[in-house]
Amino acid sequence: MISMSDEIPKVFKERYAGLVDDEEAFLACLNTLQPRGFRVNTLKASPAMIKERFSDYGISLQEVPWYKDAFISDEPDVGATFEHFTGEIYMQELASMLPPIAVQKELEKAKYVLDGCAAPGSKTTQMAAMMENKGLIVANDSSYSRIRALKFNQEKTGAINTVITNKDLRNFPKMQFDIVVLDVPCSSEGTIRKSYGVFSLWSEKHIKTISDLQKQLITKGFDLVAPGGTLIYSTCTFAPEENEAVVHHLLQERPAKMEKIDIPHLKISPPVDEWKNDVFSPEVKNAARIWPHHNNTGGFFLAKVGK
Amino acid sequence: MKEMLFGYLEKRFGIPASVFAEHEFYAASKGRVYIGPKKAISEPNVVSVGMLAARISRTVKPSTNLLQLFGRHATKNTIKLDRENTLKYVRGEDIEVETDATGGYVLLAYKGSPIGCGFLEKGSVKNLLPKAKRAQLKFL
Repeated sequence: MISMSDEIPKVFKERYAGLVDDEEAFLACLNTLQPRGFRVNTLKASPAMIKERFSDYGISLQEVPWYKDAFISDEPDVGATFEHFTGEIYMQELASMLPPIAVQKELEKAKYVLDGCAAPGSKTTQMAAMMENKGLIVANDSSYSRIRALKFNQEKTGAINTVITNKDLRNFPKMQFDIVVLDVPCSSEGTIRKSYGVFSLWSEKHIKTISDLQKQLITKGFDLVAPGGTLIYSTCTFAPEENEAVVHHLLQERPAKMEKIDIPHLKISPPVDEWKNDVFSPEVKNAARIWPHHNNTGGFFLAKVGK
Repeated sequence: MKEMLFGYLEKRFGIPASVFAEHEFYAASKGRVYIGPKKAISEPNVVSVGMLAARISRTVKPSTNLLQLFGRHATKNTIKLDRENTLKYVRGEDIEVETDATGGYVLLAYKGSPIGCGFLEKGSVKNLLPKAKRAQLKFL
């Protein structure tokens, strides 16, 4: 039998051997299937109601210790439930639920929110639920073709406090938002457990290119935050070039203040303080790394920045 | 336009205008009305504001998404479907029902969850579910 880890490029393994606490557990975890997660759309349903309905179907659900609205299920056809049809639940990778959770308190009183790279709408619809459909979310995406899915999901979930815009964020006009959420395009290494397809595009050169784009996006995103507001930057990759180095870049360019991320019952790991020839600003340590083997999720990185 | 929609939803379904207090309505071309945030923006490059709430011509046709979101507030002209009819309706088929609802647009519901909008005429409900929403349900 061919182990899937044979397909993981050697360069990839070498890159992360020194960064991760337990290399063996990390690589073993990448070989396992990621649990299928979904979120209860609280605009239409409650976790208790969904639990009861799924129990009637004989589908067992596992609770997610760090998020009361999320569940895990082994059932491959959750997408064929009545509750999925009505938009009472939304299929979403667990780690991708983290950015809104990291700003949940701020969201509850926010009036103007920008989701800078919004398609296909997971975070937009999650935030609309947290805001109880009040205030305004500008859900922007630079790709018109991806907006189709965003629009479909936004309407299906009933996230109506939303305006969808189609603009390269770097050219976004001067506006001010209480919260800016930036889940940027990335090399997606953290989604390996869903598909090994990630490696077909993977190269250190690609990481470098995308890192340059991310630096432009984070600076622009910060400029769109109103004084007293919050920026949340995230990726689904392990690459320090796309994570710590991007946050470090922002701290050099702007008077940004890092804020600590604390999500009860979620194991958060510290960021790296240096990588190759770069030493990062000590403030970067407030960012959060989520390793797959710690919480049985995809890989993720989050930075919360105040203005 | 807004008054016409409010009037219709109240009269036909018993959905009071007060449930829309946190939202605003926006008129678009071809009689389409969108429900969105109280305060929207008009640039840059706006693709859509909120979601389609209804199409208004001589009559008012509420959207599936509107009824799914606000249908819980309805007190009349609601048809509670059984499992079999829900399966059929979600597949995109017309269904036969026994109901005391009057002819016209009706709200369809299953297990207390609104499914969407149908058109009732002589005991038959015409399927108005958008094609993109059709599904083969395995669990219901």
